[in-house]
Amino acid sequence: MNTVSRLWRSGWTVRLALLILLAVATLAVAGPAIAPQDPLAQDAASALQEPSWAHLLGTDYLGRDVLSRLFAGAPASLLSALAAAAIGLVLGALPGALSAFVPRVGEWLALRVVDALLALPFILFAIVFAALLGNGLPQATLAIGILVAPGFFRIARAATLRVRDSPYIDAATYLGASAWWVLSRHVWRQVAPNLVVAAVSALGGALLAVASLTFLGIGVQPPAPTWGGMLSSDLGYLGQRPWGPLAPALAIVVTVGALNVVADAARDVLGADAPARQKEAVRV
Amino acid sequence: MSELSQITAPAPTADAVSVSPHGGTALGPSFDEGSLVRPAAVEASDLVIAAADGSLLVHGVSVSVRPGEALGIVGESGSGKTLTCRALLGILPPGLSVTGGTVRVDGVDLTGAGEREWRDVRGTRIGAVFQDPASYLNPAMPIGAQLEETLRVTARVPRRQARERARELLDDLGIRRVDLVLRQRVAHLSGGMLQRVLIAMALAADPAVLIADEATTALDVTVQAELLDLLGRLRAERGLALVLVSHDLAVVAQVCERVQVFRDGRVVEAGATSRVLRAPGHPYTRELLRAHAAYGLERFLA
Repeated sequence: MNTVSRLWRSGWTVRLALLILLAVATLAVAGPAIAPQDPLAQDAASALQEPSWAHLLGTDYLGRDVLSRLFAGAPASLLSALAAAAIGLVLGALPGALSAFVPRVGEWLALRVVDALLALPFILFAIVFAALLGNGLPQATLAIGILVAPGFFRIARAATLRVRDSPYIDAATYLGASAWWVLSRHVWRQVAPNLVVAAVSALGGALLAVASLTFLGIGVQPPAPTWGGMLSSDLGYLGQRPWGPLAPALAIVVTVGALNVVADAARDVLGADAPARQKEAVRV
Repeated sequence: MSELSQITAPAPTADAVSVSPHGGTALGPSFDEGSLVRPAAVEASDLVIAAADGSLLVHGVSVSVRPGEALGIVGESGSGKTLTCRALLGILPPGLSVTGGTVRVDGVDLTGAGEREWRDVRGTRIGAVFQDPASYLNPAMPIGAQLEETLRVTARVPRRQARERARELLDDLGIRRVDLVLRQRVAHLSGGMLQRVLIAMALAADPAVLIADEATTALDVTVQAELLDLLGRLRAERGLALVLVSHDLAVVAQVCERVQVFRDGRVVEAGATSRVLRAPGHPYTRELLRAHAAYGLERFLA
């Protein structure tokens, strides 16, 4: 809570970004419920309309209400991005921190696996993954999670390596602390702020990735609305409705932008290496 | 300098005894006369420390400190004083090992002891503080939590009483506004304050021996003097055996009644501080003293 209030106080851009994220989070939870119309209801007579009171953001090529589709598509786009970032965090951070404590062979092996993952082209990997495991949102989410993991691995490992050789870790070890104790009690606190920052920015990346994949038709099948899917269907009617892709594109860009602003501010507030600020000096 | 001669060892008869334990063998420079009178709190004899390639770093050093006594260890860097201390704590750097001699801490024979046996001794029978206190504390945790952790691990204080004990301990070390200090982190406290906290941690389980390896070196002179006074008081109150390692003769002169001069992994001179400082027997000690006289503050005041 303290962190959030300090984030709030760190400037109006951050405040705006937090408000945007709050709105987006509301959409992710309640989007389909608050959609003004049925996002799937087609009406050929009113296809490709300009915005009006009946359709605040106009209609798409099948006469479906764009605003409703935007709302209804939020959970699939946002929650799968959240799940992908979470998967990446779990798959990456814990092995990353542990890699600083295992014997050389294990360390070498883990690093090579991470290097290999980093070398994979993202879209191709996701397409092959979907082809092998079936084309669905869970598969796409898992694919993104696996590809986000190396980032977390490296961050967790770097932060762990930095504290691993500190004298206070040595001292704890000499008093009998196990590797797990050191990790959970000393390393974790130092690594956590870095991971929070990484997670927020990974969330932005995952959101873009989900949008890219759904744009390509991986993960969610056409009738169901997603932000990326809307983009791709609008693209075919640029001639008739040039501003068509604007709504889903803005939704994605604004959300990712807000996440990046918050990630940046969180890095300053959490200050990974100097967690607390000088409030009151005490002298001997 | 004159008050130096008035400092007397807790056992006044100690200096009078000079009988060899082995009968007739010549006494080495590090022979401790007091060890015959009372059991030493910490004792290493003929300690040999070698590197992995077999080269010797410490050649048969003997150290012995009785309860309530303070031994000063001086010498240039690389003379083996820190290695000797680390051997007394069983924390030699990787690649180095004790290849000869015996180590006893508070009556426990630790010659050739394994990690498990050392663990039982560290913190409970022997504690240590080093240079750069800030690096021995987790910057992300409040001081209080770390002190409580130490109390629970070494002194086996139950969780609920740990906070109270931490408060008492810091209070005992002359820290004012204890509650504030316990809540703060490393970045908030001065070096002198942090060193006091670390002394509190080292003494959490009331060990018999405290090793202070260059513990006041990085601090300014007034804070250093306060800490040395504190160590002196703790020694008297708790009957603590103190091993004070310093490259600074003045620090040793202020606290220790006995001093050993290390050079190249050997003890080149040992004896009562007043005697060694007044009438150094070894050329190296004379050199150290001359350096002090030549570069110390006294020269500019004279």
